[in-house]
Amino acid sequence: MMRKIIEYALLFVVLVLLQIFLFSNLELSVYLNPLIYIAFIILLPIETMPVLVLGLGLLTGVVMDVATGAAGLNTLATLPVAFLRGGLLRLTCSKDSVTDGGVPSVYRLGVLGFVRYVVAAVIMHSLIYFTMECATFDYFHLTLLRVVVSGAVTVAIVYFASKIFNSQVARVL
Amino acid sequence: MLKLVEFIKKVYLPLLFVVLEIVAIHYYAHSNSYAEARLLSTSNSIVGGVYGSISGVSEYFGLRKRNRVLLDEMAALQNELTRYRESEVYKELDSLGAEVETKFSYMTARVVRNTVNRQHNYLTLNKGQRDGVEADMAVITPDGAMVGYVVSCSERYAVAISILNTNFNASGKLAGDGHSGSIYWDGFDVHRVKMHELSKYAPVEVGDTIVSTGYSHFFPEDITIGYIEHLEVDEPTSSFKVELRLAADMTRLNDVVLIKNFDIYELTALEAEANSLFRN
Repeated sequence: MMRKIIEYALLFVVLVLLQIFLFSNLELSVYLNPLIYIAFIILLPIETMPVLVLGLGLLTGVVMDVATGAAGLNTLATLPVAFLRGGLLRLTCSKDSVTDGGVPSVYRLGVLGFVRYVVAAVIMHSLIYFTMECATFDYFHLTLLRVVVSGAVTVAIVYFASKIFNSQVARVL
Repeated sequence: MLKLVEFIKKVYLPLLFVVLEIVAIHYYAHSNSYAEARLLSTSNSIVGGVYGSISGVSEYFGLRKRNRVLLDEMAALQNELTRYRESEVYKELDSLGAEVETKFSYMTARVVRNTVNRQHNYLTLNKGQRDGVEADMAVITPDGAMVGYVVSCSERYAVAISILNTNFNASGKLAGDGHSGSIYWDGFDVHRVKMHELSKYAPVEVGDTIVSTGYSHFFPEDITIGYIEHLEVDEPTSSFKVELRLAADMTRLNDVVLIKNFDIYELTALEAEANSLFRN
């Protein structure tokens, strides 16, 4: 239990640092803004109490808001993902793998189930984030393009992050 | 009683979520550029040093130093030049040629953090209050292209609103002509901004240069903003819709020049007074 907490604390710190110092500062295009910190909520153990997931979602959002100066935007995008995480899991994966619990990964949920789950969570998060950031539906096709481009990169990063995190977990245990 | 406890157990989570979400949306909806820049200033006091060293890695050490010396020299020259220019004007107006004080002063700073992938982009500069940086100072590139203006300062860092911020507002005019319009960013292209309210009778062509007007208190007159890339007449408003290619490459900012307008307090105070006179 203690070991798990330390592992997740490490994951949190690494994701936040990567987000602040690398991914938020990609000076390439307005379409490339991968919000990788959502991996922390995605990778929490399946059996985590919903209220704890919501609390950690709040923490992640607030930390990112302060660090990137986006007053409230990260929080309001992360909270729905944290709240609906259980529902997303049940929708995208088989009932057995969800009741078994454990860290969400390709091993637990199957490649198809895990990818579906990650895509659903990332798209939900990015869609809320980019729509609220724009605060208008005037250029919605361009906002959607931002969701698709940044979302695709985020999904890839979350996928690899889960591989690394799981092999790390496997080695320590 | 037991039923009530059961009920609360059932709804406390969605209720908690809704309350938190409403608070977050409320906070976001009521934030503005100044609140966002203040947040950034706070985080800069903790992590600003790391940004500084990260951005430092990208520059060659020797080159950087030489560059800085050159820029400081340029800023000093700019100062001197302004003084001469203005005394020239005063000499023309008044044959006594009284000693005049310059209206603008220049200093250089390094960009330690810059975003372009958000709707509200900001720059963090490595100079702050202790170096004499204040809010409302203009930020331009060393070759004189508009970048933004300072909105918030901490002891050692300053946060400037970028021209690539949907809340950024400036007025621009045709170089060498009086016709002006307002400049804004639509949030999608890091190399282009829009200009509207430019009279359709203005003598414009694709390729013309748009510079700052003297109307804003942040920017001196004739700072280059960009070059016209696309023109379209908007009949209902009888004005041009213009697309500009930015003169500054916002994705490659290293060093910038800060400009302080000494008259800004006098001007804003005067305008506030005029406003209050007509309101009553």
